[in-house]
Amino acid sequence: MDKKNSYAGKFVRVNLTNKKIEVEPTPKKLLREYIGGVGIGARILWDETDEKTDPLSAQNKLIFLTGPLQGTLFPQSARYEVVSRSPLTGWWAHSSAGGFFGPELKYAGYDFVIIEGKSEEPVYLYIDNDIIQLRSAKHLWGKTVPETNVLIEKEVGDKQVKIACIGPAGENLVRYACIMSDYYRAVGRCGLGCVMGYKKLKAIAVRGTKGLGVADKDKFDKLFNDWIKRYTPEGKYWEHVSAMRTYGTFALTDWENAIGRLPTKNHWTGYFENAENTIGMQPLKNNHYKRHKSCFCCGIQCKYVSEVRKGKYKGTESEGPEYETVEAFTSNFLSIDTDALIRANYLCNIYGLDTITTGHTISFAAECYEKGLLKKSDTGNRELKFVDKPENSKKIMETVLSLIEDIVYGKDEFSRLLQLGSKKAAEVLGGDAWKYAIHVNGLEASGQDPRPHKSLGLTYAINVRGADHLTSLSSLDELGYKEELLRRYGKKLVDILADRLDERYKGYLVSEMEEFYSLVDSLLLCKYGTMWPPLYYFDDLLDIIPIFTGFEEYSDPKELEKLASRIVDLRRAFNIRLGWTKKNDSLHPRFTQEPIPTGPAKGQVCNLEPMLKEYYEIRKFDWETGLPSEEELIRVGLQDVAKELKKKNKVVKNPKIPTTGRKWVHWSKRIK
Amino acid sequence: MKKLLIDAKKCSGCRYCELACVFNKEKTLQPSLSRINVFYDWDEGVSVPVVCFHCEDAPCINSCPTGALLRDDNDAVVIDYEKCIGCRLCTIVCPFGTIVYSSKKGKILKCDLCSGDPVCAKFCPTGALEYKEPQQNSIHKRKLTARNVLSTIISEKRI
Repeated sequence: MDKKNSYAGKFVRVNLTNKKIEVEPTPKKLLREYIGGVGIGARILWDETDEKTDPLSAQNKLIFLTGPLQGTLFPQSARYEVVSRSPLTGWWAHSSAGGFFGPELKYAGYDFVIIEGKSEEPVYLYIDNDIIQLRSAKHLWGKTVPETNVLIEKEVGDKQVKIACIGPAGENLVRYACIMSDYYRAVGRCGLGCVMGYKKLKAIAVRGTKGLGVADKDKFDKLFNDWIKRYTPEGKYWEHVSAMRTYGTFALTDWENAIGRLPTKNHWTGYFENAENTIGMQPLKNNHYKRHKSCFCCGIQCKYVSEVRKGKYKGTESEGPEYETVEAFTSNFLSIDTDALIRANYLCNIYGLDTITTGHTISFAAECYEKGLLKKSDTGNRELKFVDKPENSKKIMETVLSLIEDIVYGKDEFSRLLQLGSKKAAEVLGGDAWKYAIHVNGLEASGQDPRPHKSLGLTYAINVRGADHLTSLSSLDELGYKEELLRRYGKKLVDILADRLDERYKGYLVSEMEEFYSLVDSLLLCKYGTMWPPLYYFDDLLDIIPIFTGFEEYSDPKELEKLASRIVDLRRAFNIRLGWTKKNDSLHPRFTQEPIPTGPAKGQVCNLEPMLKEYYEIRKFDWETGLPSEEELIRVGLQDVAKELKKKNKVVKNPKIPTTGRKWVHWSKRIK
Repeated sequence: MKKLLIDAKKCSGCRYCELACVFNKEKTLQPSLSRINVFYDWDEGVSVPVVCFHCEDAPCINSCPTGALLRDDNDAVVIDYEKCIGCRLCTIVCPFGTIVYSSKKGKILKCDLCSGDPVCAKFCPTGALEYKEPQQNSIHKRKLTARNVLSTIISEKRI
């Protein structure tokens, strides 16, 4: 083995203003203290930006990161993370994508790429091992995502080049534009494609042929078969792995509807009648599934290509749609037109839009229309309705589909308003419009509902990037993994934890998930396998981190806990510096005050406070202000962060930490 | 005799075969040194693994001046590195480009079917690569062809 660990060992800094490209060794201390991915991203963003850094400015940074697992044989490690300050929410932003781009960046020899400054003319970054060039992208500007891919492949004369790029949505600064890699994989949330578009960076194209090592090869050999087994019929969760391989994530549509948690009609309810037979996994598999796909070296293989076989959109073909997209463009509008769904997914993919925010911003407008806040004259003559009768789905979804394209190009005043996302659009509209913008801290709620799944309410409220499902969501209560709950938390708690309508202990559970995913997003594992199904837990990380990195201290749960808390607290500190307070740890009133009107969870609302107390207790936040504890920041190794926050009066010496009287053993004291 | 069979229609393009191969053979995580490579056209959404076919009448064996290429018990074409002089003639005559020369190592790299237990097939999650008796495979293919032909006849009959 040539290399002593699985890091590439170098990083790239590209200044788009003066076109300077620097390659430097990745600082050992940075790797040791933050591992990779969001961890390192948080540190760099904290150090190199401040509260005055506007998301859309030359000063904002856009960082593409990998972790120690990318490009290794570890199953489900194809992802890369992008970190910046979000132009959609104004807060911290991280988002990741699978595919092949992340591992290729490491094979080219780089752990991460920092993009800074702003170019006058469109450019793209080309990396071929040691060759790094900024090339003109004038001829690519305005091109869709697949067109851009094909043109760059031709230009560099290699179909195997891995490309992350933006589409016209990013160029036109739609606030929820995403970065698309390997054609159809999206760095979806928080509008990172908009940052890229502002900086006039059309794409990053990478080719790499170098190799990586493993720190502890013997242990790797020993444990590898155990990991691989989890993806075979011998594995504990084979049933779920196999469902994902057969159906992809749209297997979730049926399961979520069964528990009344499938967002329907702009989060009005969580149940869509007859979903199983119209938009569920069987109809999608039978009518649209075309071909199997996968990310790099994946054990689960949940990717697939869908197509439209008849009607107006015949021939439309794209990867996906994932569950979140299914929900955003069917039940969200009460539509059963799956042809329109595949078309919407395709349009978002080729223009580079986040399907979740796109669907929910349009459904926000539809509800404003229904409530009379918007008239036909306000919407540019668009009849923006929810579907009244299933047979009208086709006609109404046609309006939605044409609106997607209009948003991308800002065709009229109304579509330019929707380019801002639902929160800002509601502010412009004024009046009661905010009631129908279903977001938390600026990010539109994704394909979940906290009313039938209480712990999710806390997840939405405390997430650093707003209402998302990937930063602290617990699937253990959601999908009822009793066996795993029993293994992790013991007999006493299993029934309370498995009850998704019971708020007790869920603050602890969500807090644990947040810590877990901070490591998952730093190593860069996929959420499938760590969230759903729960193939890996902290006990696995105690092996995995030292095997690949050689950082032996992380085989000790106490050190691992410090690492996780360091990343979680630093991200939160980033938001605190921007002005985040306890008020931000809250939910949209739709989830806390409007009982769910139909379905299995009828009558439920989400009671946030008891969970928030548990969460504050674990994180040692001040109950009055939501500010972090100085002592705690110092304990996890963030002395300098504590110092800076202290100067700004944003840290508390003796925080008032709420007590709940409930007993919870922290994972770091449970795991051996 | 078992053969390494490829069904490109099943290939998801994950490249597990590449990385498993190179880690097994070279003890490094470097797909560019792999004996098997997956090539894809993401624009069309298709991919195919390419690896030595272990030809019955193998040009590499026929042309090797030192007799370094030979056939082993598993019917695999393998290299005897003791005899190999690194002339690269085999890389020229191979019609498929599946024998490569590593300038760093100064030697020929080619698939040897892992002594009858190819890791690429073992790791393939979709069954695009399988190591088994080829007959079953071709019968399966013939059955599919028959089904297509029959359905065409039936639909013609109806007209």
